[in-house]
Amino acid sequence: MRYIGDIMPYLIVHEDKCVGCHTCEMVCSLSHEGVINLNLSRIHVVGYKGEKFPIMCLQCEDAPCELVCPMEAIYKEGDIRYVDGEKCIRCKMCSLVCPIGGVIYDAINHKMLRCDLCGGDPQCAKYCPMEAIEVVEEVPERRKKGVRVLYGEED
Amino acid sequence: MFGYAGKILFVDLTNSVIKKEETEKYIADFLGGRGIATKIAYDMIPPGANALDPENALIFMTGPMTGAAPSSSRIDVVSLSPVTNMLGGSSAGGDFGTFLKFSGYDGIVIYGKSKEKVFLKICENDITFEDASKIWDKDVFESVDYMKEAGREMVEVATIGRGGANLIKMSGISFSKRSLASRGGLGAVMGSKNLKGIVVSGCKGIKVRNRDVLKKTNYEILRKLVESPSYEKYKTWHAKIAPSLLKARRPYFGDYEEEYWEDAEEAAKNAKEFFEKKVKIKSNSCFSCPLRCWAWIEYEGEEAPMVACQGTFSAITFILKIKEPELAWKIYLKMQREGLDIMSTVAVIAYASRLGKVKLGSEEILDFIDKIVNRVGEGDIFAEGIKKAAEYYGVPAVYVKGGMESWSSDIRPFRGISLAAAVTESGSISRAVHGFPESSYYTKPEKAKNVAKKIAGREDIAEPTIYEEKHKLVAHFENEHIIADSLGICDTPLLSVPEELWLKAFAAITGLNYSSEDLHYYAEKIRTLERLFNVRRGLNAKNDTLSERLFQSRFRSGPWKDVGIDREKFEELKKKYYELRGWDENGIPKKETLKKYGLEVE
Repeated sequence: MRYIGDIMPYLIVHEDKCVGCHTCEMVCSLSHEGVINLNLSRIHVVGYKGEKFPIMCLQCEDAPCELVCPMEAIYKEGDIRYVDGEKCIRCKMCSLVCPIGGVIYDAINHKMLRCDLCGGDPQCAKYCPMEAIEVVEEVPERRKKGVRVLYGEED
Repeated sequence: MFGYAGKILFVDLTNSVIKKEETEKYIADFLGGRGIATKIAYDMIPPGANALDPENALIFMTGPMTGAAPSSSRIDVVSLSPVTNMLGGSSAGGDFGTFLKFSGYDGIVIYGKSKEKVFLKICENDITFEDASKIWDKDVFESVDYMKEAGREMVEVATIGRGGANLIKMSGISFSKRSLASRGGLGAVMGSKNLKGIVVSGCKGIKVRNRDVLKKTNYEILRKLVESPSYEKYKTWHAKIAPSLLKARRPYFGDYEEEYWEDAEEAAKNAKEFFEKKVKIKSNSCFSCPLRCWAWIEYEGEEAPMVACQGTFSAITFILKIKEPELAWKIYLKMQREGLDIMSTVAVIAYASRLGKVKLGSEEILDFIDKIVNRVGEGDIFAEGIKKAAEYYGVPAVYVKGGMESWSSDIRPFRGISLAAAVTESGSISRAVHGFPESSYYTKPEKAKNVAKKIAGREDIAEPTIYEEKHKLVAHFENEHIIADSLGICDTPLLSVPEELWLKAFAAITGLNYSSEDLHYYAEKIRTLERLFNVRRGLNAKNDTLSERLFQSRFRSGPWKDVGIDREKFEELKKKYYELRGWDENGIPKKETLKKYGLEVE
């Protein structure tokens, strides 16, 4: 069931809590693709040495991926963005433009993957044993700007 | 096929030939992981071969659950051990096992000997031999960094350090910079084959039979782990392990000395403070595991990952009698970098100290490790392991079955553990009775008693020095370890989560519906095959023993004052264990036992 409603869930990462166990990636690929495959997960644990944390689509309010798409294949349902597989030509511009790697190309099934917040019940947050991923309904305005902050377009 | 990746890779290093075999051939008979690895070892390693001969095979094997359930990071390594010249084995966590499955293989079997120094690069069907001459004499950390760059972004590395390269008998195989398949000198086997390391990566997923049931069951297992009372303790494990081992009355000091080390409490306190106040510590976990047994430790510009639960740092502290944790940290870093089995190496150093070759508690230890690793002077003798060194110097040493150095805990007062150390094929206690009730009798008495009662029907036998019924506990724990190592689950969580949940997860992953009895049947079968491997090499009840010095020594002070091992009672216990296993008095599996497990050999 897809999340359609008045409240937009956001995923917040508490990077200090993450222990790098990859449970979020396991459950993400299992839920969406039916296999355990880190390459097919929409969330990714990145890190260096002991420091690790997951990254995923930030659900930016004014999203570069959507703006850059030449086919207008990225659409919103409620507040969650999806990729229309019919319109999408797999040019991967959305993947290129996102500075945090929020959209990935699935070379196995030839499609674009992005976090859809599991339709409102994000499994990664549910399964994370460390509570490093939290679902919140309200985030600061600045967080809503998402990657535009990273681009330096917002302060 | 579900759960399993489906293929096993056979790498002939002599002829640079690679072939693949279907895993399916082995599944019904030997389950996975340690079971399949033992079967391949039995079939491939000629009874007359020596461990460092090209004929020896080095087998890495994951289980059907590796990478698919919580705490399922394990990979098992089996080979003929150069320490004992018997079946050796060790298992490791980390991410390597799961990545091997992502690459499409359940296991890798290495045999022969490469002409050049090489490392193996595996990315699905793209398998190459790469030049390792530049890193052959580099340590583990440098080698991991070098080989990671040879792969893509998401790669995992198994490697040997200088220890393995120089055929040091106390060397293990390092998975990344942290997890070691440490015991039994498997690193030397890899070194003897001129194989520096293995790099794996891959994009294949692990297919599962029933996604929804698996998700639900995995969630239940995770909750059980996270909600258990000991879960919070893992967070501060590094700091608390030394005092907690003392409380459990487990450590031994120096070269298995009979006198209690007066400064033990102070050393433990210092170690605790070191981890609480002086280092930067960041908790980490193996693949799919919430337990965070290891952490990334930074201290004065140097950094390394450290696993707490095996007690390596405590072993350095107590056995090498080091009061300054700063020095213990330096020694830890060195051993980790050289790819050494810390348990064995500290035992060897402690023995050398008795001969006056090195002073415990001092910086000399660092130089002494260098001498061993580079086989300089007398280091060359100690590099052959404690038994060979004892034969050379004619001074009795402490070791367990086959000349295997003891683990970090004293085994003298622990009857069940001494039995396991003598009968277990690999001589590796951590492969048989890790988490044994005796070990936690003084820290978690209620739990230890409950476990003993559940298995052997008597609460009181959780107490270490009681001989009765210990054979039952040992057989049961050996079975549980074989199940864990064969499925690919870490033994600690396997034992602390109800078995029916694991069975449910196993069924959801593989589509195979097994009962608890089925799994124990597999465990007993695999255990018998391990026995047969050694029996074929001429071993029998006589070899199921400990070094002479262990029987003779008696504690003169400390909590175990006047305690020693009673040889008669020990032998009696051994006989009971054989009986329970269906072996004859000489420790050889009976005909009907072989028939029961379908292991009839001509």
